[in-house]
Amino acid sequence: MKVEQHTLERKYHDAVEHWRRHWLPDYDSLMAGWEKYFPKDDRFCLCAKMECDTPDRVSVGEHAGEKKRLAPDELTEDEARHLLAIIRAQASTEFGSIQQHSGTLARAQDDEDRFWVLRVMAEELRHGYQMFHLLLSQDWSKASGGVQGREMVEEILSMGTGSHVLDAFNLEYDSFVDNVCFAALVDRVGKYQLTMQKVCAYKPMADSMPPMLREEAFHLAAGVIPMRRWAKRAAQGDVLITMPAMQRSVNKWYPRALEMFGDERGGDTNVKMGFKDMKNRPAQDLYIEEVRRMIRDINLRYLRARFPDYRPEKAEQVLDEFERTRGRHQGVAYEDLLKLPDRRFFRRKGEPAWTMVGVDGDTFNDVEEYLRHLARQLSEAYLASRDMRLYAETLRGVASGQLTVEDATRRMPKLKRVGGTCPCSRSVRWVVEEPAVEDRR
Amino acid sequence: MPQVEAAVRVRPLDELDIGAIVRIDERITGIYRPEVWEQRVGYYLRRDPDASQVAEADGRVVGFMLGDLRAGEFGLEEPSGWIERFGIDPDYRGRDLGKRLFETILRHFRARGASTVRTLVDQKDTRVAGFLGALGFTPSGLLALEIQIPPSAQESS
Repeated sequence: MKVEQHTLERKYHDAVEHWRRHWLPDYDSLMAGWEKYFPKDDRFCLCAKMECDTPDRVSVGEHAGEKKRLAPDELTEDEARHLLAIIRAQASTEFGSIQQHSGTLARAQDDEDRFWVLRVMAEELRHGYQMFHLLLSQDWSKASGGVQGREMVEEILSMGTGSHVLDAFNLEYDSFVDNVCFAALVDRVGKYQLTMQKVCAYKPMADSMPPMLREEAFHLAAGVIPMRRWAKRAAQGDVLITMPAMQRSVNKWYPRALEMFGDERGGDTNVKMGFKDMKNRPAQDLYIEEVRRMIRDINLRYLRARFPDYRPEKAEQVLDEFERTRGRHQGVAYEDLLKLPDRRFFRRKGEPAWTMVGVDGDTFNDVEEYLRHLARQLSEAYLASRDMRLYAETLRGVASGQLTVEDATRRMPKLKRVGGTCPCSRSVRWVVEEPAVEDRR
Repeated sequence: MPQVEAAVRVRPLDELDIGAIVRIDERITGIYRPEVWEQRVGYYLRRDPDASQVAEADGRVVGFMLGDLRAGEFGLEEPSGWIERFGIDPDYRGRDLGKRLFETILRHFRARGASTVRTLVDQKDTRVAGFLGALGFTPSGLLALEIQIPPSAQESS
């Protein structure tokens, strides 16, 4: 296994470092505390890592068996354009998650949790840097309509929470619970995307995936392990972290995570072009089952802490009973446990977009009743957000027939940072995107 | 012992395996210690997730082997693979799961440039020592040494 490290041309490297000083101001404290929290681990390196011994033949799609492409010029114009959109979206999510994490990082109750998230942020920065390496090491002009790599980098670095390509990266965190649940739920989608892209017919993209995936494994742990520990604390009566608080965060992020897979009916183009090895719905199905396992695992941790005398078989039996009857057991109610929301719950993109389905799968016909239901399922801080107000207004428009589902999805305004890459001197304004053809990525 | 031989799958460790590892450890030792395994799994995942593997049978994790690649310790400058923790559910012993886990990790260590795999075992634990011997481990030229720290004068008075 050979991994090559690459550094961007100085001006781009410096631009990323500049961005890092704004959005990852605790970077120096991460480096200072590295030996304490990550003893024996290699120190963080801001560089692109390329694994050299990945397969050199295309394994899926209409080019299966052919030699993988090494430069954008070897792709058709359509393929290059499609791949460029994937790389750009990937880069956007990496930088976007750092911006989200930074807002509530300091609120972590536990220093280890905070340092774990800090490391996640630094590694997401490296992943964004990796995508910049892909953008800048080749000429993409035939796919970008003449836009140069420099301009693409500037555009991505100028994005703020609200203007990223995928919606999950446009929501601010309400508390450190969001930092952790985001890592457990949204980073998990990242794992799926990176895994699917391991086969990519464009070899530099495929070569980028294994090092990113190795780092992503820890990012998921940085979500799940604190959730397990919080479940234990909640079971022992700690009032500072509760299962309902975690549930509300799950309810916020899970629908956005599902939408990151793209429309359930899409994904054919990625497979046909050899960029991914699964379509959207099958990948989303696997993800849902994995999250179901995660929720069950955390619930078992809760039950074992609540009933320390129970053997593992007994705790599993009690959990099975809860899932079947939704009843009570020795003072614990079904509502005290974490639950996997219905896959159609609170969706604004994809097959169930703007349908009014409750967290348990029940259907609503009245908008106001549905919004009251959402109010019971989401945190107060999130309910008071601009995102929720706009969601409610748009939902009312769909329900009254004033908006089509497609228009509603397009009309969700986005927060745009306009101008250059330095967030310290630029303004932010709300804009409504011009209608565009919805890409069922 | 399950009646039907289940298909076994060996795959890299992930964060959702913690519960299963806790359960296997509890079956072996009789001690429930999730905090220990949360810490250890976090450690192995952040270092090299492919250097730790689990075995699945009957749709659940029934064995695990955790290791990593290190260099520069004890004067050993070349990278060495280290096997540090492993366990097989007692109901699934005798099926070569430990061997399969080890072979998978061995391939990974080789790909990462290691030419030696190392571990430590309590000489009194004949079962584990026998398992490692069956995998091909032999006594190392390195000798494990230890010393008991004597209590301070204040503590002993």
